[in-house]
Amino acid sequence: MFSKGFSFAKVIIYIVLLFWSVTVVMPMLWALMSSLKSDQEIFFSPWGLPAQLLWDNFSRAWVKAQLGQFMFNTFAVMLPSLFLTLLLSAMVAYVLARYSFRGKSVIFYLFLSGMMFPMFLALVPLYFVTDYLGLRNTYFGLSLVYVAFSLPFTIFFLVGFFKTLPKELSEAATIDGASHFQIFFDVMLPLAKPGLISAGIFNFLGQWNQFILPTVLMTNEGLPEGQSRYLLSQGLYFLQAKQGYESDLSGMFAAVVIVTIPALLIYIIFQDRIEAGLTVGAVKG
Amino acid sequence: MASVTFEHVTKKYAGDVTAVKDLNISIADREFLVFVGPSGCGKTTSLRMLAGLEEISEGKIYIGDRVVNDVAPKDRDIAMVFQSYALYPHMSVYDNMAFGLKLRKVPKPEIDKRVKEAAGRLGIQHLLDRKPKQLSGGQRQRVAVGRAIVRNPAVFLMDEPLSNLDAKLRVQARAEISKLHQQLGTTFIYVTHDQVEAMTMGTRIAVMKDGLLMQIDTPQKLYDRPDNVFVAGFIGSPSMNLFDATLTGDGNDVYVDTGAFRVKIPETRAETYRSMRGKQVIFGLRPENIHDSNFTPPGIHSQEIEAEVEVTELMGNEVIVYLNSKGKSMLARVDPRTQAHVGNTVKVALNMDVFHIFDKQTEKAVR
Repeated sequence: MFSKGFSFAKVIIYIVLLFWSVTVVMPMLWALMSSLKSDQEIFFSPWGLPAQLLWDNFSRAWVKAQLGQFMFNTFAVMLPSLFLTLLLSAMVAYVLARYSFRGKSVIFYLFLSGMMFPMFLALVPLYFVTDYLGLRNTYFGLSLVYVAFSLPFTIFFLVGFFKTLPKELSEAATIDGASHFQIFFDVMLPLAKPGLISAGIFNFLGQWNQFILPTVLMTNEGLPEGQSRYLLSQGLYFLQAKQGYESDLSGMFAAVVIVTIPALLIYIIFQDRIEAGLTVGAVKG
Repeated sequence: MASVTFEHVTKKYAGDVTAVKDLNISIADREFLVFVGPSGCGKTTSLRMLAGLEEISEGKIYIGDRVVNDVAPKDRDIAMVFQSYALYPHMSVYDNMAFGLKLRKVPKPEIDKRVKEAAGRLGIQHLLDRKPKQLSGGQRQRVAVGRAIVRNPAVFLMDEPLSNLDAKLRVQARAEISKLHQQLGTTFIYVTHDQVEAMTMGTRIAVMKDGLLMQIDTPQKLYDRPDNVFVAGFIGSPSMNLFDATLTGDGNDVYVDTGAFRVKIPETRAETYRSMRGKQVIFGLRPENIHDSNFTPPGIHSQEIEAEVEVTELMGNEVIVYLNSKGKSMLARVDPRTQAHVGNTVKVALNMDVFHIFDKQTEKAVR
């Protein structure tokens, strides 16, 4: 590692990185360990290894604490929202990046300003709007709200990406006889795949961690006993709140681990993409 | 197959930039017309207007008998090869070539037949499954040409298709495109900044500068009878020697006086210039018309002058000599047996049968 270009600065950098990795990895490992212990062990030897692996914690979390249901709810909201976010953003971004027309920059900056709009300000009106439209407490209603909040960043990100694609390609397609829609779907969209994947990952992670919106817009009111529309983040919070009167720490740790796994998987599978996404537009492909 | 006509075509961009000014050209069916000129001369803009990629500000463009100003590019029956090739990176070579046919709803077996035929013609049958990034520059260029020929268009447009190739490949590709033109018997319109490409490929060449058409003619005529100083200097490599000069003389004699040397215009051509005596002109002489006086070809009206040799470039079959005659620099293409060495003063013979005189003010040729 240090054979070439050994320097003091590098040592410092690696020490900082090491420290950083430990602070990130430790809590995760600790949660994983705790999720396999009994409640007594968690209290009396918080740093020790589990005496025996209690996989039962996970099944308890999944079934009894309804993590399975929450997981289903979360995907029921996020899959449509991700699909719509990417489709709509790509279409808007393509037009903003490729066509010149009056009012184009106004539209672009309007979207950009959406990135700066504090979510909290929108909560109360959103509640009433979704309620009025009958979208409150529905999967699709929350999806639409997610889409609205994801569009500005995604458009901003994809405009940069579409701008890097060579103009000759759409011209060649025009001469080949493609319509505007065909150019977009047959030529430009496939080329934007790396950008779409990056944008998809960012949005997945952002929407996965969303807590405020579901808390306000997804309540269980009016649902029969035992059913829940909660998303994972809410469910987790609900579990934690329950610790006050119905202690099941090991079950909660198992829930934490379950919630972490999809996001972690995404990070692991797409780490190259995430890195590439951060530098999109910096280097021409 | 179709003719193409530019009728008073002008292209203006926002901010009062005029890229093409009042362009009038008629291109016959099956012609190979080359637009040539330095960058920014409007040659590519003219091609793009014909392709429908740029709007036409004024004037009309005809393909065949049809005005195409408001016809969509896909309905103009044209195909274009781009400088960057513009191959679709996510499609195989086959799909790249088939894309235009698929969009036109050509039946699958027909597409297959045409793609394979074009690939065979260009020698890229074995590359059909590859993606563009797996191809070399020369192969990409062929695919780009292939994509154009499968469409069987009435007019081929090519925008500097060889400029991304290395020198050797470019010479080869040049010949291939010329051959393709002969085989297909279609109208080709070709844009380049390289006058060698223009001279070797075009049946006619349109020389442009600053949005204006300077001259349009066959390569030989452009070379032999340039209409103006720009064309004279642009066509030919090494380019024509041009000297500021004054026409002088008395009686029946007319001399060209450059200040450094004075040469007599032969009787056969003196008549034209007699009335211009005393006028400022530009005197032009191509490098191959300046000979080492020891190897002057017989039977020409030559005038000898002395000049100092500054640089010699041996090309094998000839030597390019950079000469300086009292501050006037010139290039000569002389016999390889020449004894001219750097630093020597040599006698060179100017072939006065083939000089050019241009009006100093208008820069137009006076013949």
